[in-house]
Amino acid sequence: MSEAATTRAPSSLWRPRGAWEGVAKTGRHGAANGPAGIRLTLRENFGLATLIAADGKEADLQAALAERFGLSLPETGAAHVEGERGLIWSAPGQWLALAPSPQGLRDLPEVLRGVAAVTDQSDSRALVRISGPQARALLAKGVAVDLHPRAFGPGRAAVTSIAHIGVQLWQRDAGPTYEIAVARSFAGSFWQWLEHAAAEFGYEVEASAV
Amino acid sequence: MRIRCPYCGERDNGEFSYLGDAAPQRPDGLEASAQAMHDYVYLRDNPAGTIRELWYHAAGCRSWLVVTRDTRTHAIEAVEPARDVARARRSGEAA
Repeated sequence: MSEAATTRAPSSLWRPRGAWEGVAKTGRHGAANGPAGIRLTLRENFGLATLIAADGKEADLQAALAERFGLSLPETGAAHVEGERGLIWSAPGQWLALAPSPQGLRDLPEVLRGVAAVTDQSDSRALVRISGPQARALLAKGVAVDLHPRAFGPGRAAVTSIAHIGVQLWQRDAGPTYEIAVARSFAGSFWQWLEHAAAEFGYEVEASAV
Repeated sequence: MRIRCPYCGERDNGEFSYLGDAAPQRPDGLEASAQAMHDYVYLRDNPAGTIRELWYHAAGCRSWLVVTRDTRTHAIEAVEPARDVARARRSGEAA
């Protein structure tokens, strides 16, 4: 979002900084015997926005997003994610729009004018992808929502809290792979819970390739 | 105690915050007598039994809910979105 600022004044103290910077260290951590049970992928430079449908305009929003994203508006508790794009249910009449970069959502307010309120959240949430054979066991320690495949599977989303920190989570695939968005100012506290919970399984932290 | 949110499913009550009795309706401030305002602001029933009350799903879908609960057992009979209750009340008034 702040490209112009960095190119103009590279020596400025005010530099863009990743949400996980100074919080998460890449590499292998926790129990060292055997392969890591958890893989944590730190997401950066994604595009994220909240969409709130105007009263009685959900059908119009649905049509505009189908045209713009090629994704349909998810039902209650659902997420439609394809690659790095997606729409995730958040509350009645409210969704998160996800894109590979903040630029990917730049025209959204114009496209949805009069249909939905769009608020950029690209810099206000920290995003981490959780995968690996022990991913569900890890989340079971903090999430009071049943994540068992018969209750929660790919394409499902929930808003809840982990360690008293508000989170929005959705499942990408049956691996299982989850993604968790947390308010950026809580990234440090959330990470403390995450690394503590993941330690027994052994975990690998990597920066996102995207 | 767990509350079955109509949007999120069954959640721990720690995700919700409590407001109180869902019954009182604010009188028209310009028309109402002092007594009616006093009743609205201060007076509440305290039933041993079923009560309809407002809960807010703060850590979930941020929806206001009307929960019908038995104060003696905490058994929850019904959970409705508060906006549906308000709309039904309004359309009842209009009819």
